[in-house]
Amino acid sequence: MEPTEKDIAFKQLQKENRILKKKLERSEADRAKLEQTKNSKESLLKQVIVELQESQGILEQKSAALEQAIETLTLAQSKLVESEKMAALGTLVAGVAHEINTPVGTGVTLASTLADETEILVAEVARGGLTRAQFNDYLDTAQEVTALLLSNLNRASELVHSFKQVAVDQTHLEQRHFNLKNYCEEVLISLSPTLKRTSHTLTITGDADLYIESYPGAFAQVITNLVTNSLMHAYPLGKQAGHLTLDISQQRESVLLSFKDDGCGIPANNMEKIFEPFFTTARNRGGTGLGLQIVYNIVTQTLKGKVDVTSEVNQGTCFEISLPTNTGAIPKND
Amino acid sequence: MLKVAVGHSNDPDSAEAVDEVIAQCQAELAGVQPRAGMLFSAFDFDHALVLQHIYQVFPELELIGGTADGEISSVLGFQQDSLTLMLFSSDDIEIRAGVARQVSQDPVTIAQQAISEAQQQLTAAPKFCVAISESLTTNPASILHGLQSALGSVPVFGGATADQAKMEQNYQFYKAEVLNDSVPFLLFSGPICFSHGVASGWRPIGKRSQVTKVIDNTIYEIDHQPALDFYHYYLNEFATDVAYPLAVYPPGEETFFLRGASGYDAEVGSITVAGDVPEDAFVQITEASLDAVIDGTRSAFEHALDQYPGQKPEAAVVFSCSWRRYVLGTRTDDEYKAMAALSDIALPSCGFYTFGEMAPFKNSNRSFFHNTTFVTLLMGHQ
Repeated sequence: MEPTEKDIAFKQLQKENRILKKKLERSEADRAKLEQTKNSKESLLKQVIVELQESQGILEQKSAALEQAIETLTLAQSKLVESEKMAALGTLVAGVAHEINTPVGTGVTLASTLADETEILVAEVARGGLTRAQFNDYLDTAQEVTALLLSNLNRASELVHSFKQVAVDQTHLEQRHFNLKNYCEEVLISLSPTLKRTSHTLTITGDADLYIESYPGAFAQVITNLVTNSLMHAYPLGKQAGHLTLDISQQRESVLLSFKDDGCGIPANNMEKIFEPFFTTARNRGGTGLGLQIVYNIVTQTLKGKVDVTSEVNQGTCFEISLPTNTGAIPKND
Repeated sequence: MLKVAVGHSNDPDSAEAVDEVIAQCQAELAGVQPRAGMLFSAFDFDHALVLQHIYQVFPELELIGGTADGEISSVLGFQQDSLTLMLFSSDDIEIRAGVARQVSQDPVTIAQQAISEAQQQLTAAPKFCVAISESLTTNPASILHGLQSALGSVPVFGGATADQAKMEQNYQFYKAEVLNDSVPFLLFSGPICFSHGVASGWRPIGKRSQVTKVIDNTIYEIDHQPALDFYHYYLNEFATDVAYPLAVYPPGEETFFLRGASGYDAEVGSITVAGDVPEDAFVQITEASLDAVIDGTRSAFEHALDQYPGQKPEAAVVFSCSWRRYVLGTRTDDEYKAMAALSDIALPSCGFYTFGEMAPFKNSNRSFFHNTTFVTLLMGHQ
């Protein structure tokens, strides 16, 4: 017999009833499970928050310690820069002492020659046997010796004067009015003993009438460091006779110093690092990695200018220092 | 040709449910005899009766299956306390069922032997294997190791049977038999193509610690402290909670897999996880948001679709971890919805909520035993 519509509907209701009862039973069990899952999650998240707070505390401590370390390092760096400056001054003193030694030494020889001649003359006078010819000879010698003595002592005096100026300028950064090319030449004198030990030459060219109101000590330091840097790095083979040039010129709104060498150049991967403190390729030869960093600091901070470097391997390196006329270095053409 | 039929009933009455499922499948098959099938059943059914009804109608069926913690199909979506059957029929695709019995005695060797025996029944080399594994009597990772070592580079997909979180006993089905401590499986060979996707949605949270003492799947110490303390630290009095598995980073690796704690020993302070953990591995507790879990489902399905080598898949078999269900709660059905939204509505799908999933990681053909993942297997005629 075919089931009636009623039978089908009844059967369907029975099925739905069974399903609902089962679902109710299951939902109780599931709810308990979900509650546990929720409680676990709450506990987990609380604990993770505690961990985060702990980590935050640790990070804050580490950050404070790092700040302290950076401060100490900055202090140490500035001390090192200072001692490097003093070392440069020491080199300068040694150079000037050597330069002065020549005219003073010659002066001593000349003075003792004059003393000897005078003693002979006095003895002859006492003996009463002085001839006119002898006296004339003495006068010629005395004239010649005193002229030489004067020239040597003048040379020594000039050297002392320029050294005093450079040394004072380097230890007391004071602004004054000076001729830039002449001043660079004075600095060159202090470097000449170093240069003489090599076969390299340094030529200063450019505007001889350019006066500026600026910090000469800063220039002295910059030139000394650039020359020292070239001598240490540009000619590693030693025998090569290098040509170093420093050109001074004035453009409308700035003073340009262009320092060039014709040495081995700087490899491309070092170019970005040469102004970084303590970067050196010559630590085994006493390089500190501070020379060019000091150049950079003086040019950008004291002189308010900028420094660019171009280099080609085996062709040479050129440092272009440009100083604005409106700040720091004020050029004046007298 | 591959003909696939799916039936699904949520009637708690065993006879009514199985008859409804059979009727749905027969309507789909339109007189064609099915060759093989998969049956996923809630724990409370009378399984022997269910199988008896099926075998009365389809006496030649190569059937495997097992108890589930929730069932999923293209007929009713996600259901609890339901019964779902997927049947395959084909003229040229070969599908053979096999079984490894009493696997706890020697999981690796027994699984190897069972595969070798089943392979002899096939006329061509298998393309892939679907296995339904026991989960309580032995470590399913060892069973998978045995299956995989016999199959070589043939991938294994599947899930471990469940018992609605009672953790007491679960059952596997092999043809008309209701078994436990067993691993029934199907081997597919011939002109069939397939793809798969696997994803989780859980993410590590909290501090990373090192496993300092472990034997197989029992972790004794983490950071030289009892392993249970690690869970207590985060979950307070809740001891272990399967919804918060451990992310396990094997030594020297930055990618992790998940291992849920399925049990613990309060006296020793050890925790037992569902699968091996290497010594010196780093572990981190994990958590999942509802959206992240659904995103995992979507991503697994999407990956399988992207990778599918044929024109269009003809069936989807899915294995989703029961812990996903515990986290998703009333949103569990969103897993099926997310997957259905990506595929053709007509794609016959069937699957279950497991106590662990088997599938290779992306770009690998050696299967791994996963926890908390959603595994999609797509298949179709070449």
